[in-house]
Amino acid sequence: MKKMNEKARMYINGVLLLILGIIFMLPVFLIILNAFKPNKEILTDFISLPKYIYLDNFTEAMEVMNFWSSFKNTLIVTILTVALATFSSFFAAYGISHLKGKFSNGLYLFFVLGQIIPFHTVMIAISVLATKTHMTNTLWGLIVLNSGFFSAFGIMTFVGFLKGVPKELEEAATLDGCNIWRTMFQVVFPLLTPTTITLAVLFFLWTWNDFLLPSILNGEQELRTITVNLYMFKSSTNAQWNLFIAGLTLSIIPIIIIYIFAQKYITSGLTSGAIK
Amino acid sequence: MSELLYKKNRSFYFLLIIPALFLYIFSLIIPLVFGTIPSSFYDWNLIEGSKNFIGIENYIKLFSDKDFIHSLIFTMILAFFTIVGTNLLAFFTAYFLSEKLFGKSLSRAMFFIPNIISGIMVSFVWVFIFTGAIPSLGKSLGIDSLANISWFGTPQMATISIIIVSIWQGTGFLMMLYITGFQTIPTDVLEAGMLDGCTGIKKIIKIQIPLLMPTITINLFVSIAGAFKAFDIPLALTAGGPSKSTQTIALNTYNDAFISFNTGYASAKSVILFLIVAIITIIQLRITRKQEVEA
Repeated sequence: MKKMNEKARMYINGVLLLILGIIFMLPVFLIILNAFKPNKEILTDFISLPKYIYLDNFTEAMEVMNFWSSFKNTLIVTILTVALATFSSFFAAYGISHLKGKFSNGLYLFFVLGQIIPFHTVMIAISVLATKTHMTNTLWGLIVLNSGFFSAFGIMTFVGFLKGVPKELEEAATLDGCNIWRTMFQVVFPLLTPTTITLAVLFFLWTWNDFLLPSILNGEQELRTITVNLYMFKSSTNAQWNLFIAGLTLSIIPIIIIYIFAQKYITSGLTSGAIK
Repeated sequence: MSELLYKKNRSFYFLLIIPALFLYIFSLIIPLVFGTIPSSFYDWNLIEGSKNFIGIENYIKLFSDKDFIHSLIFTMILAFFTIVGTNLLAFFTAYFLSEKLFGKSLSRAMFFIPNIISGIMVSFVWVFIFTGAIPSLGKSLGIDSLANISWFGTPQMATISIIIVSIWQGTGFLMMLYITGFQTIPTDVLEAGMLDGCTGIKKIIKIQIPLLMPTITINLFVSIAGAFKAFDIPLALTAGGPSKSTQTIALNTYNDAFISFNTGYASAKSVILFLIVAIITIIQLRITRKQEVEA
């Protein structure tokens, strides 16, 4: 009897939450639905299903917005930022968690401090600095700066998880003849896979979606990222909702793919490290 | 053995830190210490090119700058409602979505996905929902009051719109953190509590919340820092309007820096923003650390 109740509850609550979830996600569904409608239908009938599948929005949006070039820019910046930020954070966290004494504590605190510096506090200085160091209108400027911003969070998270790796394991590996590189890469690094994937996914999303930094640094059309491109398009032509929504839908696709791929790691990879 | 190994590898550990240290100092510390802070003592307009040292005059000017003070108050109001709203919503969705449930991962995905789409972009879509979809829905349902809401017309309504979108966007991430928190509570603790008659709301208040204190700390930390940095959603939804009533500190600073090019004055505002975020985070970490209960 008790089992039956539990099972019924599992289904009833489950369905209830699914309905709430659909309502919650409605704006996103609306974006995707409307990408398949002509502009007139969007303006008059935003909430209904498309009467027929209309694909011209996508082809037109790609042309008007110079879409592939901005897509390529965003992809390059994102992938290289993820790689640089993830590995440099892991290395530094590994170093910090193995060094002893006040110095390593001090370094850790110094990095954690980065968590409380809002980007908006440095954006003006960065735009001045970027001009001086010829970082404006380059892709590497975005990669270096983003990696620097993310390192505080990355190091904090990795250090938390590295505390949980038993020191005996590393000593055993050394006794078995592993040098330090191999101990780090082949013994310890694989243990942190969920954390690494979670951080990589977060860095991916933050870079992919970032608007402010690329809008300050890269004004040239050829070097714009997707968000800047869409923003420019939206602010210059207020009426072409169909093209904006189609472009937006295309820009969301990589994010959704990443999410589906990393879903099972996202919950497990983050907290215990940050909390400890 | 271990000691010997440590001495041998010390320089290797130091070398490992260098790349991140370089990136971090280059992107955050140098701009803050050698850019923002010194600039805040100058009367400096990037377009006019003039740059004169004026000491703390920029900071004095801030006290009588009505727009800035308003943006400060507005940011706090926005932060308060967003932090409470996102955390409550995230906590309760996580509460249900960490149990065994039909369609659990799909539900989780639907609450999380709004969080992973660019805030600026979804805000544009929300503008359309507020000004296009909701009125036409109201009309077709025959509810005039729903159709006639002017979402961006008054400061109050514009604020409410920003709060709605901010909560909607912020919930997913916090929910994920709460879910992980719920999963770390050992089931035997809950079962023992249930045997003692601790169920429902009582279970949440007496067992789960105390054990979730570490997660709550992190989540408050994340959401406070996020709320004070609010920029994307107000920019895309209202652009600070009507008549600058919904400018956050970040947006106010941005307009000063990149539209009027008052580099020096905007730097002083940036320093204030930094101090506010730093002080709040430090206080909040101290308070919540004290309350943590070891599981």
